[in-house]
Amino acid sequence: MREPASEPSVLREPASEPSVLREPASEPSAPTLPEPLTTMASPFRMDYTYVAGTGRSVFLRGLAEGRMLARRCPACAQVYLPPPEFCSRCLSRLDEPFELDGRGVISTFCVVSFPFPGQVHEPPYVVAHIQVEGSGTRLMHLVREVDPADVRIGMEVEPVWAGEDERENSLTSIRHYRPAGDEYA
Amino acid sequence: MTEGASLSAPYTLEFPFERTVGPKIGTFFAGLKERRLFGARAERGVVCPPLEFDPDTGAETGELVELAPAGTVATWTWARSRAGDPVARDFAWALVAIDGTAGSFFHAVDVGGDPSRMQVGMRVRVRWRGDRVGDLRDIECFEVAP
Repeated sequence: MREPASEPSVLREPASEPSVLREPASEPSAPTLPEPLTTMASPFRMDYTYVAGTGRSVFLRGLAEGRMLARRCPACAQVYLPPPEFCSRCLSRLDEPFELDGRGVISTFCVVSFPFPGQVHEPPYVVAHIQVEGSGTRLMHLVREVDPADVRIGMEVEPVWAGEDERENSLTSIRHYRPAGDEYA
Repeated sequence: MTEGASLSAPYTLEFPFERTVGPKIGTFFAGLKERRLFGARAERGVVCPPLEFDPDTGAETGELVELAPAGTVATWTWARSRAGDPVARDFAWALVAIDGTAGSFFHAVDVGGDPSRMQVGMRVRVRWRGDRVGDLRDIECFEVAP
């Protein structure tokens, strides 16, 4: 896994050996030095267990049933989607879950154009923060079925659900979001 | 409440980073590939593994010096072997003072899984990996010198 054949030219050796490595002429036992390498592999890998917590698990189980479950804080009225168990503003326990249809507007987005190892989607693709109607928080998801150049902040979007037999306790139960405005109907 | 037990799932986070190295450490790695061990001259003596800059003065370290791949255990701690560790059975992580150097080299010592064979001051030598690529794992571990 070291020294890939297609190493970029900027990482190549300098044309001449750096002068700091030259032996003084008077040194009789100077060793013949190997050509220095310019890079070292330094991979990072971490295996871990993600624990959703009882609050977040309500939301994930809802996704497996094709439902987007939000919860409201009884003290400060903040609505969370996805909801945790307790309000992050006032620490009150959130009320019973209720369903939202998932439609919302893009509050910000990013066009991912850069390939990286382990990438699941073919770039370019759009990742957006979606302000779901009825929720005080934002949800991050893919925006597809639109040219990345046409995506705008404030654009109305709706969720595209995976087929019933493909749904699981995961945000992948929503395949992506797509424009929902009249111009796309 | 409507809450059941918490869901959980195994995750892996992985980044295939590659770091650039300076001329001293780059030569040190190239040396390992050839089964050769180099240190760099510094104010306190020869340091191995070499550094690009003198830890005492901050100046560039001096010339590279070839060293015998053997030394003395300065201190050690016993470790249970896990996947990805340099030795497949339980082993010691140790600071090995390479002969002729100041300071020490952090690496594994294989004593056949028996911690009672580990002693401060014991003589060890490099066990070279067969398939070397030019990084620290070219030294498989240190082993007891006969």
